[in-house]
Amino acid sequence: MSGRLSGPGAWALYFITAMMMVFILAPLIVVIAMSVSDSYFVSFPPQGFTLRWYVKILQDRDFLDALRLSALLALCTTIGSLLLGVPAAIALTRGNFVGQDFLKGLVLSPLIFPALVTGLALMQLLAGLGFTDARFNLLIGHIVVTVPYVIRAVVTSLMLVDLNLEDAARTLGAGRLRTFWRITLPQIAPGVAAGSLFAFMVSFDNYPVTMWLANSEYSPVPLVLMRQLVNVFDPSVPAMSTVIIILAVIGVLILERLVGLRRAATV
Amino acid sequence: MTDGVHALAPPRGGLLKRIVPRLTPSAALLALPILGFLAFFFFYPAINLLLFSLLTQDAKGVVGRPFTLAHYIRFFEVDLYFRVFWNTLRISLITSALAIVLGYPVAIVMSRSGAMVMRIITLIVIAPLIVSVVVRSYGWQLILVNSPNGLLNWLLMSLGIIGSPLAILYSQTAVIIGSLHVFFPMMVLPLASALGKIDPNLEDSARTLGAPWWKVFTRITLPLSLPGLVAGFTLVFSLTAGSFVTPVILGGTTATMLGNLIEQQIFVVYDWPFGAAIAVVLVFVVFAINTVSMRLLEGRRLRSVQR
Repeated sequence: MSGRLSGPGAWALYFITAMMMVFILAPLIVVIAMSVSDSYFVSFPPQGFTLRWYVKILQDRDFLDALRLSALLALCTTIGSLLLGVPAAIALTRGNFVGQDFLKGLVLSPLIFPALVTGLALMQLLAGLGFTDARFNLLIGHIVVTVPYVIRAVVTSLMLVDLNLEDAARTLGAGRLRTFWRITLPQIAPGVAAGSLFAFMVSFDNYPVTMWLANSEYSPVPLVLMRQLVNVFDPSVPAMSTVIIILAVIGVLILERLVGLRRAATV
Repeated sequence: MTDGVHALAPPRGGLLKRIVPRLTPSAALLALPILGFLAFFFFYPAINLLLFSLLTQDAKGVVGRPFTLAHYIRFFEVDLYFRVFWNTLRISLITSALAIVLGYPVAIVMSRSGAMVMRIITLIVIAPLIVSVVVRSYGWQLILVNSPNGLLNWLLMSLGIIGSPLAILYSQTAVIIGSLHVFFPMMVLPLASALGKIDPNLEDSARTLGAPWWKVFTRITLPLSLPGLVAGFTLVFSLTAGSFVTPVILGGTTATMLGNLIEQQIFVVYDWPFGAAIAVVLVFVVFAINTVSMRLLEGRRLRSVQR
């Protein structure tokens, strides 16, 4: 096969790549290693082995509440993003109207806008309107930042749908909705699933929007963790972080099963 | 353009050109919900924020007229604020430059290796992307701690390389390291996808004709992967410029960035118009980088068409 790397230059490339892999994994491994350290302070090297920090955080009401809130928020965000994003993706791929490219730019624009400013602007609006329920405000903010991911993923898979199948279903008398449900949806299912999972994970980890919209009563996981970082110095912080890492790894594995990582990466 | 796949199907003739009317203008209606949603919860508040940055806040904290540019003038005149602006640009620029230099080797290996190596590298590059920024910055904090209890200092001191602990944490260097870690995938992924589209025969023939590796890189690989490079640079720069968590955890008070300044003005000082003005400056920086990159790519495409 041509294009393979060879020669002394290749070794330099492999070396830098290996170093970068270490660079990428190092902070995660350090966190995991410290989470089982049998010491009262997080300090290197870790000592012994204990799971008591996990026992501690599993009894920590704040952390458990945050986990529940974040999971529920991410779930509702995903549903909201799908309800708004899938129709938009259909309009962008199946429609044929003036300003389609402009529309695409508009609906994807939250991606390039600094999320921190998105959150600030939204907080200002919602506070002005007197919306004080942090859960509702968080849901709105999270949908704004996740819906572009759903749209992008669904648009990509809609482009790959065989239009002749849709035509065939329509000529055979199926209505538009039925055609979509029975013909189109099964074909774009992986894209919809990937978009959903991405939306879920982006919502679960979001900080820059969340920091403006949460309050002391309703704080999602990233905010609680940030607070703990400043106030707590025992290995329960690495233990919480490890829980988050494990959840992320599960997410990545599901993503790979669903669509393959290379495709997921382009989402 | 709108239905690319359809264009590949054999053309249907005459009157039966379109047997089934495809969803056309009516499909636009499907975009109405999202347009309404974003108009109310994204575009309107964003414009409102811009307006806010031009208003005056009185002693009681009430924001209103007259319109003024005072907040922007203050931002660029007061040394403290201007330094934060400058630091943000510097940190973002150094981070994206490092991401390019270190991203190329990884992306090249990724796109030129067998399936197994590619899979492993992709997995390692992507996995951290989904781990919370708070966790990743915290991991770097544990590594860089300024006392002998940090991983790096412990390692270097145990090996006898240094006698006293290094003080990297709470500096701009620490923020750059953390940002590079957080946004590295944003450089590698577009680069790898651009490199994957290059015909390997081009590089091979250049090499067979006697070009040294650096010439192959600068004359073939670099120009052909430029779209991925520009996309990656834009992403890394914009995201670093807008970061908040990493400078808080790794920068402390020495590496305050625009995001931290905005948060302080809103949550601590309660100076809404000034906070809004800094937010607008941040948006402007990000838009400027995006526009310049897009121009760069379009200009190149135009030139190659004319040639």
